[in-house]
Amino acid sequence: MPAFDYRQAQEIRDVFAKHGVKYLFIGKSGAILLGYPDTTQDADVFPLRSPENGKALVLSLKELGFRLTQDQASEIERGKDFVQLKNGPFDLDLVFAPDGIESFEDAWNRRVEVEGFPVSHPDDIIASKEAAHRAKDRESLPRLKAYRDYWKSRK
Amino acid sequence: MDQRLQEKEWIEEFEAAARRPLQQRLKYAFIHTYKPVLDDEPYRSFESLEDYRRWCEENLPIWLGYARV
Repeated sequence: MPAFDYRQAQEIRDVFAKHGVKYLFIGKSGAILLGYPDTTQDADVFPLRSPENGKALVLSLKELGFRLTQDQASEIERGKDFVQLKNGPFDLDLVFAPDGIESFEDAWNRRVEVEGFPVSHPDDIIASKEAAHRAKDRESLPRLKAYRDYWKSRK
Repeated sequence: MDQRLQEKEWIEEFEAAARRPLQQRLKYAFIHTYKPVLDDEPYRSFESLEDYRRWCEENLPIWLGYARV
């Protein structure tokens, strides 16, 4: 599978907007949208968990080319905490309940817009990675925190 | 590496990235390499992040870095 690219990021943004999906980019892909120079494999999005948003999200994913069975679509509509999609044009993780973030609304109110992409605030990206306690995050956190400080100093 | 030297190097990387347009940043940032087990199923879902973290620890090679520390 080819790597996620700018055109696909635009497609997510535009198709999600067309169907009214409320979501944020999160994780390293979110940090990269903010300007953080690093590499990653997939995009992570943090959708609002609600029946309406779930339906809009499923419609959007199908339009983007993800092949979802009825059961899978139902799980996404319901908002299972973590859904990993590798059945479409690019890899996408849906994180309905990221570690370290109290609520979608709080994160939404702190969001950063980058060329129309709604992105979690770097403090939230760091909070979720800190709370996950994964080895790979622990190794990368000092540099990500340095980027957060650099990003804030430019505001 | 000395911490101050390390941070200076990072700032230089951040400033270089800031000079690049978003399209170019994404082109350099997203790569695809095969991750054993993780990439072997087209769809997975978990009721909780805790379930997902536990699944990663029980099923993924340790060197992928998904285990908690």
